[in-house]
Amino acid sequence: MADTVTPQNSRSTAKRVMDNVGPPLVVLTVMLIVWEAACRWLDIAVYILPAPSDVFSAFAKHGGTLLYHTGITSMEAVSGFVIGSALGAILGTMFAYSRFLARGFLPFIIAANTIPVVAIAPIIIIWFGHGITSKIAVTAFLSFFPLALNMMKGLQSYDRVVMDVFYIAGASPMQRFFKMRLPNALPYVFVGLKLNVTFSVIGAIVAEFVQADRGLGFVIMTAYRSMGMPRLWAAMLLSALLGIVFFLIIALLERIFVPWHASMDERE
Amino acid sequence: MGSTVVMDDPAVQVEKLTLIYESNNQRVEALHNVDLTVDKGSFVSLIGPSGCGKSTLLRVLGDLLTPTSGQVLINRKTPREERLERRIGFVFQEPALLEWRSILANVMLPLELRGTPREERETRAHELMKIVGLTGFENAYPRQLSGGMRQRAAIARALSTRPDILLMDEPFGALDQITRDRLNMELLQIHEVTGITVVLVTHSIREAVLLSDRIMVMSPRPGRISRIITNDTPRPRTLESRNSEAFDALVREGNRELEKGCADG
Repeated sequence: MADTVTPQNSRSTAKRVMDNVGPPLVVLTVMLIVWEAACRWLDIAVYILPAPSDVFSAFAKHGGTLLYHTGITSMEAVSGFVIGSALGAILGTMFAYSRFLARGFLPFIIAANTIPVVAIAPIIIIWFGHGITSKIAVTAFLSFFPLALNMMKGLQSYDRVVMDVFYIAGASPMQRFFKMRLPNALPYVFVGLKLNVTFSVIGAIVAEFVQADRGLGFVIMTAYRSMGMPRLWAAMLLSALLGIVFFLIIALLERIFVPWHASMDERE
Repeated sequence: MGSTVVMDDPAVQVEKLTLIYESNNQRVEALHNVDLTVDKGSFVSLIGPSGCGKSTLLRVLGDLLTPTSGQVLINRKTPREERLERRIGFVFQEPALLEWRSILANVMLPLELRGTPREERETRAHELMKIVGLTGFENAYPRQLSGGMRQRAAIARALSTRPDILLMDEPFGALDQITRDRLNMELLQIHEVTGITVVLVTHSIREAVLLSDRIMVMSPRPGRISRIITNDTPRPRTLESRNSEAFDALVREGNRELEKGCADG
């Protein structure tokens, strides 16, 4: 085994950022140019494939309303994510501490998890009404399982010898939970949260497909019916952007709260 | 050592200790009628082939296992009382550090769990870091350190509550020979300076002879102490102590006993 490992990388931060961001930027630029050129020269109909410039002018024309609908969908996704994750964390903790509860409930939870969200969304909307609440409920339903399962796994994955260390030190059950099992579970928790946050955008939009008078899902459906393809593309890109931003926020939180985990090491 | 010790006040007193557990519907007698006395401030090793119950015996002393019958006293109290008063230090084969805590925070852990005020536990932890030679690595994280350094941190952690007795379960088993020698010397020095009683489980007869006042050779099926070897070589000892005629004689005696135990089994 080597002696101490020096934590600092000699490469400068600016260069590392360029290494990560440079290549995708080049690919994106080339792709946009080819796409625009193809639409113009091959004379592709707008409803088949709008050119980037068409999508851009849709942004310019409907910017205000698109932003409003993005805000609605974000609100639904975030609320559903928070509620679903909180419920998942509580249930996962209960499962980790009670074999009876875990064995009793898990088969049903896993079965429920296989229900396609489009199948259950209408039912939830009937239960929770036509407002925003039902969209939040669908989102919460979808962003609940990953954290429940990962929380349970994380809380159970502690090292037996570390448990002995806490026993010798006369630790209370509360101390064992907060100073050992919970911090130890954090990498798993973030795996669950990253899945949840992606599902939450999907959940909100699917719920809006089923029934809504606002939100990105609503924009996509109305644009589809009126063949307003540039607007549809704009809404699609915004929903993708939403998912990416939420994911990055969780990844940032992970860097802050789990800097010690091996997966946080620089990838060579 | 032997002559200066007050014999009626031992650190460890084990009488007729038997521990039976069930494994696949079979009764296994891990320990059978074990008697053991460890004098205060002395260094005792438990050695023997796998399955002889040396780790089991150590875990009974640390209240990690409950015996089936017999009496166990540590400083005239039960292991449980001693443990709950934080008078037992235990070092395991793995360092078992918390990855998310700095080395200093790991060393402070038992004091933190006991509710020692922050300032006091930091002072104590810095003191311990110095004793085990980790000064300068307070803010490092466990995975940034070598195996030997991690085990040093584990030893410092075990000493943090100023225990009466230090129980060590093959603490150097996973280390290379050079690191192992160095940690042996550091352990001798800690024993010398603090006067703590040490019970060490090891696979290495040379390590046992080098460090101990007495070596308990154990044999399996059922686990028992088959011979006690006394090492009167004066302290402080160094790695050069291993080059003496007396050292070789003790190692030979130990090996002979170990081979006999294996043949019996």
